Amino acid sequence: MANDSTAAVRTAGVWKIFRQEAEEVQAVRGVDLTVARGEFTALAGPSGSGKTTLLNLIGGLTRPTRGQVWVAGRDVSGMTSQELARLRLAQVGFVFQAYNLLPVLTALENAEFPMLLQGVDAAERHARVRELFARTGMDGLEDRRPGKLSGGQQQRVAVVRAVASRPALVLADEPTANLDSAASEALLDVMAELNRDLGVTFVFATHDGRVMERARRLVRMVDGAIDSDERRA
Amino acid sequence: MQKMHARVLVVLAMRNLRRHLRRTVLTASAMIVGGALLVFTFAIGDGGHEQWIDSGVRLGNGHVTVERPEYRVSRRIDDRLAADVRRAAEQALAAPEVAPHVVATSAKLSINGLASSSAGARPAQIVAVDPVAETGFGMVDDQIVEGRYLEPDDRLAAYVGAELVDSLELRLGSRFVVQAQDTEREIAGQLLRVVGIFRSGVPAVDQMTIHIPLTTAGDWLGSQNDVTNVGVVLDGSAATALVRGHLERALADPVTRGDARVMGWREADPALAAAIAIDDFGAYLTNGFLFVIIGFGIVNTVLMSVMHRRREFGVLQALGLTPGQTGAIVLVEGLTLSAASGLLGVALGLAGTWYFFGAGLDMSAVMEDIGDMTFSGAVIDPVIVPLFATRRLLQIVTFILCIGAVASIYPALRAARVDVTEAMKFDR
Ligand SMILES: Nc1ncnc2c1ncn2[C@@H]1O[C@H](COP(=O)(O)OP(=O)(O)OP(=O)(O)O)[C@@H](O)[C@H]1O
Ligand SMILES: [Mg+2]
Repeated sequence: MANDSTAAVRTAGVWKIFRQEAEEVQAVRGVDLTVARGEFTALAGPSGSGKTTLLNLIGGLTRPTRGQVWVAGRDVSGMTSQELARLRLAQVGFVFQAYNLLPVLTALENAEFPMLLQGVDAAERHARVRELFARTGMDGLEDRRPGKLSGGQQQRVAVVRAVASRPALVLADEPTANLDSAASEALLDVMAELNRDLGVTFVFATHDGRVMERARRLVRMVDGAIDSDERRA
Repeated sequence: MQKMHARVLVVLAMRNLRRHLRRTVLTASAMIVGGALLVFTFAIGDGGHEQWIDSGVRLGNGHVTVERPEYRVSRRIDDRLAADVRRAAEQALAAPEVAPHVVATSAKLSINGLASSSAGARPAQIVAVDPVAETGFGMVDDQIVEGRYLEPDDRLAAYVGAELVDSLELRLGSRFVVQAQDTEREIAGQLLRVVGIFRSGVPAVDQMTIHIPLTTAGDWLGSQNDVTNVGVVLDGSAATALVRGHLERALADPVTRGDARVMGWREADPALAAAIAIDDFGAYLTNGFLFVIIGFGIVNTVLMSVMHRRREFGVLQALGLTPGQTGAIVLVEGLTLSAASGLLGVALGLAGTWYFFGAGLDMSAVMEDIGDMTFSGAVIDPVIVPLFATRRLLQIVTFILCIGAVASIYPALRAARVDVTEAMKFDR
């Protein structure tokens, strides 16, 4: 088992149970998972297998019903919602399936928003965003509003935003689900490159075979539990 | 977490408002009209009240009056002001802090008595005045029906209310007799001649009041130059507290001895104060109601925008905003909208009221229906000059900001409670 301080995230016997009236749904059932820094991991599994719920747990968006979750070495189980928000701001980047961007902000303003909240100064913010925009093929589009960007471009801005604030890990829930195959490939190229060159830790939840193929570690979930966990060279 | 920059909040709010321009403009116009209406109604209302007060205090004893504590009830000659108290009061009114507010001062001896002619006897309110001072104080010129007001050389002259003239069957130039208790507690009589007849419009005044020169009263009653009141008319009712406080300090000794009492118009004329309070209450009620409706409009607009933007708030929270900060974005949005449009409304209301009605709003058409032109001891002038008081404006602005805040709180709470995991769910 990896050391807590080097792991981007670690869960130990984590459960998430949703109660609806008399019924209870065990969305995540006793998952032990460690993601080291620098990994490029895909969570796969059929619909309803608990991928999104697990991502939400390790991103500090929800608290586990049972078990423990450490993000960048810190136990999130007992955190208040303020503490969770602080943790997300400092340590976690999110990329959702769609509607990631604030429609009233330009691409650049969207990308620098978390850094603005972190108190990073303007010169540093702009330098980081411009560098990442150049890497992701987004230069020249800094001043566009999301409405004037393609779906693929919007997802790239979301990735830049998630990476620029230098979190311990970036969580992406079905980032390619709304993209055509060319845009999906392009987005995957961008993320793989950021992972390789900058060591950004990525965890995806996905149905997309392309994403699974590109992952260097593939964790399969079935009924809220880990079914298989394979690493590739 | 680092403090979220207020600037970012405001930028987000402004851009979101601009993004939904139609919705924003609609809500803003309600607020603008409401703010303007609020300023207009209160400027006219306060202007009207100021007129009630002005005519009320001119018929009575001024915005502020100094008299002996017992006098208000007894109205007897025994309760005269000591000469040194009167002097101290008059000196205090000349002080530079208060003098600019003083429009007129009048020292009067005002007592109850009996007026009789061959037609019979009637109770009378005898007001002995310095004719020159009273001319500036009581606006007597406006009320003369026949004849003239008292003049400095007059001796046996009387200026009499029109209804008293009728009931005693007097005419201009008629002689009649007044009787009252003198300083020796004897009933003393005095022969007078009608030099002027007036009508104030207030029945109680017109049925009883007789003005005579103070010197005549002094000889008749043995009171010499003594008076029962020193009253002062100010340049506006707003100066009442200042002048009253100043007089109270200047007369601290006689006041503590029980030899004098300083009263503002509210105490001297509680009926008038009550009438104004009731009228204000009516205005508060209607405007309160209007703004409850406007408030619901704002709640609706802001809430709709919150509901449409649940994903956006989900993203913000995922990025690391606390629920409180998420709510703050909405609060700033609602506050910006209501404050900006409300203040614009106030500004337009001020400008419009001043431009169109600055010289006065003629209400005579409306007042004809009311018929009776008197109200609680005050005569209503059908032309109302709007009054713009700083205190009222502050009150209005505060009220508008509070409505904006209250109307934004609920949508803000809804935004704060957005659950990210719910908001970011996608159907496939
Ligand atoms: N808020 C909730 N309340 C109740 N049940 C929930 C809630 N969220 C998720 N679930 C249930 O938990 C289980 C796991 O859901 P989850 O969204 O994690 O699956 P998933 O693997 O992401 O599926 P998909 O591939 O369709 O996105 C499902 O049975 C789902 O219905
Ligand atoms: Mg999912």
